[in-house]
Amino acid sequence: MAHPRERRPGSGLSRREFLMRSLGAAVALPSASAILAACSKPGEGTTGSASTVGTGGVDLGGPYPIATADNPVTWTIYDDVPPIADGLKIEEGATLQLYNWDQYIWKKQVEKFCEGVGCDYKITTFQNMDEALTKIRTGELKFDIFFPTTDTFGKLVSAKLMQPLNHSYLDHLEENVWPQLISPYYDQGSRYSVPYVVYTTGVAYRRNVVKDQDIYGMSNPFDILFDPAHKGRSGVYDSYRDTMAMSLLHLGNEDVNTDKQADIDAVEADLIGMIDAVDVRYSINGAYKLLPENQYDVHLSWSGDIAAGWFYVSKDTAYEDLGYWFPEDRRGMIGSDTMVIPTTAEHPVLAHEFLNFMLSFPAAMDNFAWVGYQPPQNDADPDTLTTTKSVWGEPYIFPWMEAAVVRKEDFERGLPQWELTPDVDDMWHDAWQNFRAGAK
Amino acid sequence: MRSSDALEPTKAERRRAERAAANETGIWYPRGYWKRFAAPGTLWMLLFFLVPFYVIVSVAFGTVDPVFRSPLPVYQPWWWTFDAAAEAVGKIFGPFRETYIRTFTFVVVASGICLVLGYSVAYYVARFGGRRRTLFLILLISPFWISYLMRMLAWRSLLTEDGYVNGILSGVGLPVVGWLEGKPVTVILGLVYGYIPYMILPLYGFLDRIDGALLEAGRDLGASPRQTFWKVTLPLSKPAIAAALVIVSLPMFGDYYTNNMLSNSPRTTMIGNILDDSVNTSGQGPEAAVFTLVLMVMLLIPMLYYLRSTARELARR
Amino acid sequence: MSAPTTTRAPGLARTGARTPPAPPKRSWLHDPWRKPRVLESITWVYIAWSLLPVLLAIFMSFSSGRSNSTFQGPLTLQYWTGTGFEGDGASLFRDPDLRSAIRQTFTLSFVTMAIAVPLGVAFAIGLDRWRGRPASGSNVLMLMSFVVPEIILGVTALYVVLYLFTFIPLGTPAQVMALVTFQMSYPVIIVRARLLSIGKEYEEAAMDLGAPPKQSITRVLLPLLMPAILASFAIVFADTIDDFVTVAYLSGAAESQTLSMKIYTQTRGAPTPAVNAAATFMLISTTLVITLGYLAYRRFSRGQSDTGVGGFASQV
Repeated sequence: MAHPRERRPGSGLSRREFLMRSLGAAVALPSASAILAACSKPGEGTTGSASTVGTGGVDLGGPYPIATADNPVTWTIYDDVPPIADGLKIEEGATLQLYNWDQYIWKKQVEKFCEGVGCDYKITTFQNMDEALTKIRTGELKFDIFFPTTDTFGKLVSAKLMQPLNHSYLDHLEENVWPQLISPYYDQGSRYSVPYVVYTTGVAYRRNVVKDQDIYGMSNPFDILFDPAHKGRSGVYDSYRDTMAMSLLHLGNEDVNTDKQADIDAVEADLIGMIDAVDVRYSINGAYKLLPENQYDVHLSWSGDIAAGWFYVSKDTAYEDLGYWFPEDRRGMIGSDTMVIPTTAEHPVLAHEFLNFMLSFPAAMDNFAWVGYQPPQNDADPDTLTTTKSVWGEPYIFPWMEAAVVRKEDFERGLPQWELTPDVDDMWHDAWQNFRAGAK
Repeated sequence: MRSSDALEPTKAERRRAERAAANETGIWYPRGYWKRFAAPGTLWMLLFFLVPFYVIVSVAFGTVDPVFRSPLPVYQPWWWTFDAAAEAVGKIFGPFRETYIRTFTFVVVASGICLVLGYSVAYYVARFGGRRRTLFLILLISPFWISYLMRMLAWRSLLTEDGYVNGILSGVGLPVVGWLEGKPVTVILGLVYGYIPYMILPLYGFLDRIDGALLEAGRDLGASPRQTFWKVTLPLSKPAIAAALVIVSLPMFGDYYTNNMLSNSPRTTMIGNILDDSVNTSGQGPEAAVFTLVLMVMLLIPMLYYLRSTARELARR
Repeated sequence: MSAPTTTRAPGLARTGARTPPAPPKRSWLHDPWRKPRVLESITWVYIAWSLLPVLLAIFMSFSSGRSNSTFQGPLTLQYWTGTGFEGDGASLFRDPDLRSAIRQTFTLSFVTMAIAVPLGVAFAIGLDRWRGRPASGSNVLMLMSFVVPEIILGVTALYVVLYLFTFIPLGTPAQVMALVTFQMSYPVIIVRARLLSIGKEYEEAAMDLGAPPKQSITRVLLPLLMPAILASFAIVFADTIDDFVTVAYLSGAAESQTLSMKIYTQTRGAPTPAVNAAATFMLISTTLVITLGYLAYRRFSRGQSDTGVGGFASQV
């Protein structure tokens, strides 16, 4: 079957649509491509080698090159998916369609943008990246802005699901963003994406139950998630990459992108052991909501989650009760999220303007204040984030969770999560499924 | 009998001939008349219920897209591959065996509780409802139109650490329990809470229609109320109980949201969760399809039993 | 014999006559003709257990606090029409997300009802009269769609829309298709039951009086079926409002998310009492619809047997 592309804004019917209409949509026939494919077995046929998708990176034999910190990738710009032209006017009366994680952008900022430009907006949310990719892949949904993680670019580019950006609309990118993220390893030249926020992954804990010195003094603080003393009060993310990477670090393995079956088996055993040890539960809102609500004592956490936790504290929790641990040598999981424009976007000029707006200092910082995730803005001095008051009258990051502040240098020592080739991804998913099913 | 004068002779002749012959319905409708009525519904069912099952089979025995690992259904049986299916079935007996056993346990326990509790309530309302019968019925039917999710939400809010259930417990001096911390008890009780109306109403319908003469015969022959119950009412209720058990337990096998809302722990994962996860995970489309098929096969026997008993019931009435 | 007493119930008519005239007043516990106290208490406890949490959830929607598990006074409408907690705009009727969800819920319900009930009624009439193998095959298909766990319906519908019938886009069209498929079984079951109790005499009488088939159906059969048809409309509508699994699997962009989906995602995320307000609103709508359906049912079944709530309930 062909890739479900060819929904360039303003272009005519896609091949599939044309064939469908000529066959008569009322007749319940299999899609034309299925009939055509009857001549050859589906799934076989050329998908193009990795080098047609991007240059650089590591070629692990998969359909796309793997971007690593030492081997950055420059993604191909396809002829049939060109960027929009310069100097176009913003589409009138449009509805900006955002596709994002839940609670991951402050609606007030989007409203502010829309008021300034004269548009409406709509935010569709997804619960995990797999679901998002599946829905985007169908090509039926026309989102203007999508917020993927950086480990999906190989798939997105090879399926032509994003359109290249026209930097003439994005002056704030060069002006405001950290240098190493203007042309990051996962997208040299920022051809398809702009950075949204940066974050680290550590452990959030309730400071009235676990003392700072206790957790910082441990030789392997991830042990605390496995500590039977917190039985029933320990949680991990319902996200396979993050939780399995945590387990790798717990086992002393720094290769958080491992493709070795033995490593993954060890992780699976480790996580399954957690079930009996601490009655572990998984959630997506465990760190920013349930821990402040006193439903967990320790939880795997992204830095932005616990920074925003003070919104949700229960009556008997003080802001000082929320703490965050990250390795003091800053050698832990680090990452960034991005904003891209899907190929099927109906309002690409509007989308570009929105990206530029979100890259501006006031918008980025106000969004930070609500979402808790730090934007890579040059003007935001990391040393002042614990003292500068945000629009809410509280510091962006409380002084007692200073480890949640991300600095430019952290990217040099940190452990980012790269993309996995499809078969390695399968291995990870299988192990994750076994854990979730409570296998013994 | 004459047909309407507006009909043409040929049609009239045909109708007369049909009348003369032993007609299916006993009413003088032209042959094939009713087929036209049932046609749209049948067509819809074929297209949107039966054909999707073939698609599921095609996905189960198909392949995946090399980049996204999204399912590529293979409609031609001669190109079907069974590796993914074999692997998935292997998983059911391997890492997922625990989950399948657990789901069975949950469903059996929950259905059992539903039966005992539901039968008692249905029996009481059917036999002793009296003047308040209408009120009872309204109260018993109301969960049907309160969304399942709202009832779970309500139940969940009560069970939080600082919720009212723990408040009552601590008020009485009992220790506070972490209900939402991944306890099978919570999920089982959640299932009972959610599905018990499906047990009560059919049972009530049956008990309400029990022929009073039978019960009186028991009384007349000297049986006490308790004996009448055990020797007359209960045996009569067996088909109704079986049908009600099927209605209640079948949806439980596919339930995933109860666990997600009340527990979210690997300890209480059910078959529905495995299915839901694999549908949303890239690369596991064929697996999801296989799990769906396995679930259908598992539930086929109870389903057929239910179908036969409904058909018998309709025939009897 | 003595006059019938208040414990009269159909089918058990004569047991009431056994009550001795004016028994001496005994305590509730020792009265031998008491209603079984264990069963009675169980019933009331069950009803309380079944409905109190919901009442509490409704009550919680008027809370002033952010949490939806502990009530915080004073009573307020901030989550209904107001500005939500501390003015973040997240109230049921102001939040654009929730409003679009309300809109989508009702759209789906109306469209599904409009398609499923006529299809189902026609199907029922056809199945009832048409004997033979294909008929029982259709019957089996229809009953199966009723009894199959909804997740199977959702997954099969999703795959068919994604890979075979790709001209059906995800979102409202796909949702309607899947909903109609399994909601159709409700009208079929209800109408068939009604057809059985009506029997064929009325149509035969009409035929004897010279009515052609079409008139016999429209003038005689359909009006007789009206109670069942109206009950079907109400039930399909109410059931679709509450539907979750099918709608979630076949949803597309934000516009196709319904209230039930919002309740689910928010409960797993960060629920505020706005979620309770949304659920209460759904509850009110469904109650209204069911009540209207019931009233219409009563009006149309005047003079026939099994009117009343019992009759309505036994249609279900």
